[in-house]
Amino acid sequence: MIVADDSVLLREGVTRLLEEAGFEVIGQAGDREELMRKTRAHKPDIAIIDIRMPPTHTDEGLQAAREIRQQMPGTGVLVLSAYLEEEYALELLGDDAAGVGYLLKDRVSDGARFAEAVRRVAEGGSALDPEVVSQMLGRRRADDPLEELTPREREVLGLMAEGRSNRAIADALVISERAVEKHVTSIFAKLKLPPAAEDHRRVLAVLAFVGA
Amino acid sequence: MTNLRRAQIGLAVLAFVIGIGVLLVVINGEHNTHRGAYAALSLGIGWGFIGTGLYVWRRRPGNNIGPLMTAVGFSGFLKALAFSNSSVVFTIGSLGGVLIYAFLVHLLLSFPSGQLKGPLDRLLVVVTYVNTTVVQLAAFVFTDPAKAGCAHCPANPLLINHSKAAVVINAAQMDIAIALLGAVVAVLYRRWRGSTPSQGRAYAPVLAVGSLTFMLLMTELIVEQANLSSTLADGLTLALFGSIACLPFAFLVGLLRSRFGHAEAISSLVGRLGGGEGRGALRNALAEALGDPTLQLAYWVPDRDAYVDAEGRPRRVDPAPKGKIATTIDHDGRRIAAIVHDADLAGERDLVQAVGAAAALTLENERLDAELRAHIDELRASRARIVTAGYAERRRLERDLHDGAQQRLMALGINLRLARDRIERDPRQTAELLDASLQELSEATGELRELGRGIHPAVLSDRGLDAALKGLAGRAPVPVELVQTPDDRLPSSVESAVYFVVAEALTNVARYAQAQTAKVSVVRRNGQVEVQVSDDGVGGADPEQGSGLRGLSDRVSALDGRLDLTSVAGEGTIVRARIPCG
Repeated sequence: MIVADDSVLLREGVTRLLEEAGFEVIGQAGDREELMRKTRAHKPDIAIIDIRMPPTHTDEGLQAAREIRQQMPGTGVLVLSAYLEEEYALELLGDDAAGVGYLLKDRVSDGARFAEAVRRVAEGGSALDPEVVSQMLGRRRADDPLEELTPREREVLGLMAEGRSNRAIADALVISERAVEKHVTSIFAKLKLPPAAEDHRRVLAVLAFVGA
Repeated sequence: MTNLRRAQIGLAVLAFVIGIGVLLVVINGEHNTHRGAYAALSLGIGWGFIGTGLYVWRRRPGNNIGPLMTAVGFSGFLKALAFSNSSVVFTIGSLGGVLIYAFLVHLLLSFPSGQLKGPLDRLLVVVTYVNTTVVQLAAFVFTDPAKAGCAHCPANPLLINHSKAAVVINAAQMDIAIALLGAVVAVLYRRWRGSTPSQGRAYAPVLAVGSLTFMLLMTELIVEQANLSSTLADGLTLALFGSIACLPFAFLVGLLRSRFGHAEAISSLVGRLGGGEGRGALRNALAEALGDPTLQLAYWVPDRDAYVDAEGRPRRVDPAPKGKIATTIDHDGRRIAAIVHDADLAGERDLVQAVGAAAALTLENERLDAELRAHIDELRASRARIVTAGYAERRRLERDLHDGAQQRLMALGINLRLARDRIERDPRQTAELLDASLQELSEATGELRELGRGIHPAVLSDRGLDAALKGLAGRAPVPVELVQTPDDRLPSSVESAVYFVVAEALTNVARYAQAQTAKVSVVRRNGQVEVQVSDDGVGGADPEQGSGLRGLSDRVSALDGRLDLTSVAGEGTIVRARIPCG
């Protein structure tokens, strides 16, 4: 993988964390250009990218991530952001939730969960920050179909939106995988969404709904 | 035809008929030395006053001058009845005739407004009425005309007995009358001295002839009282009648002059308006034209729905100050100003209107000037508030940083130090300390993130309002529906203002409204952005309360926008801002 961040401290920190979790970091980048160059050269499974990098310190990381997704479909991108804003996340996802993640920077310090999210994205899944998801679910819509969901179904919906598999949802809520499946079917029916087999397609369907 | 009009025509007809009757009575009066002269003078006084009185009454229905002059005319006829040979008619004339002096005093003292001005005026008038009615009757019942020097006079049917009382009462009545007349002349003179040149010219004929009449009466009474010379008394009485007969013409001239005075006032005003003598000149010109040095102007500021003075300071016009009246001046169907003038000019409102209309353009200019000044004052105040708010905001940031992230980082340092010391002795406690440190750290970063967004949300400048408002709506503790947001980007200052309006409004919803839901809509139309944040909470918010809304209002005003709060108790709250936007 490649870690891109303009702060050496953070870059090194993330690198060490991930190496300890068993990942192989093959390169580091301090700006967008270096990131693109090294990604093209090494074709990593995943690039972990800070959203804010030189030269403009606005959203270079995001642009780079989108470029990588377009040009190198085999490389997953995980954007680390200081901003709790759904807009960035939705932009990054575009119309494909495979191999993509958007997490708040703070998540880095929760080693195990961070590693889990990195692994998910590297394997073609998706990882969306729980706070971003809760923000999206927190908004009200006219004639809100979300109102029809039970509290448990809302929880399941949130975890689905984060990109978690049924297995992971079952673990998080301490229920059976079978029960999760039933909730998922019910949610899709209530929201009138077409059923989706793969986790990342499911993420997209859910996000397309709540992000509208 | 109104009732008043009908009554006036009735009075005119009555006056004509009575006049003919009076003429016959006077001509045939056997106890009358100058029948012809008195007949002519009586008719002149009666018809003159009634005619002029009815004319003035018709032109100025709200003014007492007309009715008073009519009353003088009729009491003049009454007086002439004393020449009658019939005992009853003679008695009516002798008793009621002196009323003419009371009406004259009342008329002159209330000229030109028709109102008595002060306690002294009122006292003089009341005493005169008493002196010419009650006292007159008291003297009359003890007077036998035959024994009082009028051999040819008819008998007095009210006579109780001829006694000394008549002489005493008569003497008292005359003394009172002389004193009264002296006081009235003094008051009239003072009034004339106190008037402006143009008023003076209009008042002069009335006041002069009026004063002459009263002085003649006074002299006649003195002569009569002292029993000096009956020939002199006779002459004086004739002169007095003549002078009274002249009074209606004095009133007509005065009226005409005051009409000319209006025209003159307006033309001199128009002349001065061109002069451009700077602020205050217009007020002075109007004050002079209307003869009211205390006159004030108030300019209408439509978007405040209020009046301001020439300096742009708020000015209350309704209710007008004590003793003042405000006359509104319109131009092209729009209210532009109010002239706050002396209540004395109440009867001259048409003049005030005319003068106001003549000055309308200049008034409109000064109004714009005053409006500008008002805006500048407001701007200055809001700029000062913005600067102050800026400092307050910095202090708040400093405090938040100090109390929040900095404290947490210090605690983190301590925990790490403790963990470092225990790492070999007590691995379990070390792990706990490290967990606590991680928790502390995550809260510190969370706080820093919130702080950063409070200063300026990056997504707003990167992605625009829709994205930033989605975030705001999602984070608000109360469910928020984003009804509408503009698709295209707006100038960044406008986007910022809109964002902070919504943020502050949503904060208030969460804090005070006890609402179930809130709605946010941002619409761009007709060259402006309209932001509306509404909730279904308890309402009743006070726009003056809290610096948050005031700060927002300043922020919006700085962009020439406007912030309004509608919050009826029980009906939720609506915060609405309109900001011009190309």
